[in-house]
Amino acid sequence: MNLANFGMDSVTLAGPLESKLRACRAAGFSQIMLWARDLVEHPAGPEEAVQLVRRSGLRVTGIQVMRDYEGLSGALHEYKLDIARHLLRLCKAVGARLLVVCSSTSAHAGGEPALVARDLAKLANSAVPLGVRIGYEALSWGRHVHAYEQAWEVVDLAAHANLGLVLDSFHMLAREADMEGLEEIPADKIALVQLSDFMWRDLGSAQERIETAGHLRVFPGEGSHSAELSGMLRQLDRGGYRGDYSLEVVNDDYLQLAPEIVCGRALSAAKWITDQVLRRSLQVRGYRGRTL
Amino acid sequence: MMNIDNNTPAGNPLGIAGIEFIEYATTQPLAFGALIEQLGFVAIARHRSREVTLYRQGDMNIVVNADKRSLPSSARDDMPATVISAVALRVRDADTAYRHAIDMGAWAIQTRVGVMELNIPGVHGAGDSILYFVDRIGDFSIYDVDFKPIEGVSQQPPALAGMHFFGIVQSIDEGRRPEWIDFYGQLMNFEVLPEGQFFGAVPKGILLASPCRSFYLQLIEPPPGAGSLQWDEQLVRVGFGVPDVPAAVRALEGRGIVFIERQPAQAGARGALTQLYKGGVSFELVVSNRDAAGAGAQ
Repeated sequence: MNLANFGMDSVTLAGPLESKLRACRAAGFSQIMLWARDLVEHPAGPEEAVQLVRRSGLRVTGIQVMRDYEGLSGALHEYKLDIARHLLRLCKAVGARLLVVCSSTSAHAGGEPALVARDLAKLANSAVPLGVRIGYEALSWGRHVHAYEQAWEVVDLAAHANLGLVLDSFHMLAREADMEGLEEIPADKIALVQLSDFMWRDLGSAQERIETAGHLRVFPGEGSHSAELSGMLRQLDRGGYRGDYSLEVVNDDYLQLAPEIVCGRALSAAKWITDQVLRRSLQVRGYRGRTL
Repeated sequence: MMNIDNNTPAGNPLGIAGIEFIEYATTQPLAFGALIEQLGFVAIARHRSREVTLYRQGDMNIVVNADKRSLPSSARDDMPATVISAVALRVRDADTAYRHAIDMGAWAIQTRVGVMELNIPGVHGAGDSILYFVDRIGDFSIYDVDFKPIEGVSQQPPALAGMHFFGIVQSIDEGRRPEWIDFYGQLMNFEVLPEGQFFGAVPKGILLASPCRSFYLQLIEPPPGAGSLQWDEQLVRVGFGVPDVPAAVRALEGRGIVFIERQPAQAGARGALTQLYKGGVSFELVVSNRDAAGAGAQ
């Protein structure tokens, strides 16, 4: 595991797209997660924004975020599919290999696993010719799917190689998820791991989770769940996950700091994460040495 | 090889029955037309309103489309390019096949970009290519509406050396095999063959069989260490089945087609690859004993 495995998320950084890209490069990151609005809201227009990103030399981890897609029917389903396809085109334009789809919060959405799986497989097929993978993430306040185990259940049911699971430590910690369950998930079905923590122990209500998620996440190593996060990271490493880690830290305070300062904190977080995994690796080597 | 009955709705619910036509888009219609004439195709009809020609031999149809709008957006005026722009599948009911593909997530094409004015349903495939669904009812031909036969030319030229459509080679990005296998499997019930099973002279990638077992898709990833190579996901080559590869090679060489001589004799009996022609096009011969009616594979 090295810095190439880690990416910033543009939502963590203040300022225009140009300075976010510049700060990431300067800090030594090689990838960045973008939000569709980073491109479409750019004053020079989305095409120029795409060129900016391509010229930056940064790899785009993925595009966030398709909301409230699955479980709909009729005209609503068609409408959301159309929106998702616009995002897929944006992914292709900017060279992003992943579109993040988070679990629906819509009161109009059904939650039958077979229905959700069917809709996800459909989007996965749509994305194949564009060279984009679909990553499905459980929002901790999702209407039907709010735990990673549920998200995995429907991803597994959809049985499409172009569909994977996005794990977000914030949502998992907010629901006190059992990290041991991660061992059930094949590493190649994990499309992305998003990492952040928060600074108090409990988030009892959906409203508290939404508030904290949207304003006061912190980097791994800075929060109150380092032990759990550490367990999650070691479990993922043990399971063979070698994909991207995106530091998705939504924090109002960070948005008052220069992006270079926040990128510096992100580097410390990346080191903290590497240390957690490295500790595990050394232990395993030692254990093998004694038994053989 | 397979012990399921692929003509049952379970194995082949869309009633796929081979390839109706393959369309090439080209900046050089005359040169490309001359090339496929060397392969035994005969120009039999011209489009009524566009720069499009229909070539045929045996039960194979090739549409050569020189309409600029049909070329990929990356094509440049100053560089000759010929690409496989569409594959039309014969199906039991085109509308059913189309709606199934759409339900499974395929992108509908805008009909105005298609070569046919007759509304042939189609969806987007690899790269800039289109997958059409064609059904044939009675004597009606999809070509009657759009094409005008060339006078004095047989509309049913025989196949040279028993040639028939055998398969298409598609380039895919590294590591994307499972995604494309699921794509073709869910949209059109194609089935992956065991790794290492190949026909022809190019044992690379992985093969998918059509549910009718009359043609194959070969998915090929970039060669190792090809990091700087331009490698787009697209349809790259058509393979023709022939019962006797050496005899077909001799017949085609006699007509000026140049084959790459690199295979040992045993592989040479299984298949042969032509040189890369101007515009980036090549063809492949594959040993196949399919009968003239097009039913069943080797």
